Amino acid sequence: MRHKRGLVLNPRDNVANVLEEIRPGETVELRLDTEILSIKATEQIPFGFKMAIADIAVDAPVIKYGEPIGRASQPIERGALVHVHNLAGARGRGDLRTKGEEKL
Amino acid sequence: MEFLGYVRPDGSVGIRNHVLVIPGGLIAEKVCAFVPGTKTIAMARSGGGMTSRDRETIARTFFGLGLNSNVAGVILHSGSPGSGYPELRTERLASEIARSGKPLATLDVDAEGGTLEAITKGVKLARKMVYEASRLRREPVSIGRLSLGIKCGASDPTSGMVGNPVVGYVLDRVVEAGGTAMFGETTELIGAEHIVAKRAVNDRVAEEILQAVGFIEERALATGEDIRTMNPVPENIAAGLSTLEEKSLGAIYKAGRHPIQGVLRYAQRPAAPGLYLVDSWMGPNSIFPGFAASGAQLTLFQYGGGATKRTVLDPSPAVAAPLLWTSANPATYARAKESLDFYSGTVIEGTETLEEAGERLLSLIAEIASGTLTRGETIRYTEPIEAYGIDPLF
Repeated sequence: MRHKRGLVLNPRDNVANVLEEIRPGETVELRLDTEILSIKATEQIPFGFKMAIADIAVDAPVIKYGEPIGRASQPIERGALVHVHNLAGARGRGDLRTKGEEKL
Repeated sequence: MEFLGYVRPDGSVGIRNHVLVIPGGLIAEKVCAFVPGTKTIAMARSGGGMTSRDRETIARTFFGLGLNSNVAGVILHSGSPGSGYPELRTERLASEIARSGKPLATLDVDAEGGTLEAITKGVKLARKMVYEASRLRREPVSIGRLSLGIKCGASDPTSGMVGNPVVGYVLDRVVEAGGTAMFGETTELIGAEHIVAKRAVNDRVAEEILQAVGFIEERALATGEDIRTMNPVPENIAAGLSTLEEKSLGAIYKAGRHPIQGVLRYAQRPAAPGLYLVDSWMGPNSIFPGFAASGAQLTLFQYGGGATKRTVLDPSPAVAAPLLWTSANPATYARAKESLDFYSGTVIEGTETLEEAGERLLSLIAEIASGTLTRGETIRYTEPIEAYGIDPLF
């Protein structure tokens, strides 16, 4: 039986991109260069979206391309969907700069 | 690898053979309507009420397009409202374009006796110029004579995974052969600027990269808004990109691996071949004509398109240069097949390696450079353009 596929872009990454629509409970074969990691998805993951390949604690960095792309805003389980509901970007946050000050 | 191009008097090589009538406006449009083989610019800003640095940007855009090696000859008229400013005087623009040695005619609207008379004279000049251009012939030259300008847009996860790396491979090959490549979109370096700065050829260029990114991030912060509500754009998020950092880290793959020789201002021409960052805004109607003014004979749009429904993709806003559309997204390919020049999703599907797709794209570029049309060149439409203005209008 052919497994669904995904890609890990860098050995330091804790997320992978799936290359097809993933249903909960499906095992995804993630390719990192020549290595294959098999991970079971705990929820639905649309084509091209990210799946966690390790548990990620709240405020821990989410790493893709070997670099931080933001921090977990919720605890993230291995196999879970990672997107704006549990991942927060850190740059260009003009909203945080004005936090605590009176908005005009 | 070679292509067939028009060798111009200054040794630069064109992949097309246009006669350019500039600046834009009524006179230029009517001359171009009369004479096939001509092009002009559709741009609302003419320099009026703009700061000197923004007027100089418009001047660079005008004479840069005139200097582009795809342009066989130029007709420069004095009828633009901006031509009263020192940067934009007809004589100044003419002296810049004259450096190329290409056929150049200036059209003094007042001396001709008015608008209609200037149009008549312009038609006579243009007919002669396009006829002479038609007598030029292409000759074989190396792909190292190419200058490419690239942008990624409507990015989705296929952009960072495959689409941009395939373009980066092509840029590497062209730069290795002695050519030039330019990328830009300064906002979308936020989160990846430390990586890009490390690729700078020296400390000065590294500092310029960090300054350009710092300047734009500071402007974003000063708005008091969360940049995630501006860029990534909604269609990036709908397609799976979660943060600006993630978008930027995927975007930089389009620049390949060569050292960055310098940071150019909008429409600034590089002094030597190599890879350059152009400090610019991501809007296609701005960045592509800017690349052409900087000397690019061919522009590329690496398109994600994962959350869009577009079936027809725009012709080139670059005026003097065609636009090649490429995508790695299978859904985009299925939806907009007739508008895409290149599909690299084969690498996602596993039927091609990244290198194989890159070589295939490079071969297509050589064909397009030799005269094969891009899909956009089969549509008659004048894209309005916008030079990159930094300052307010007065």
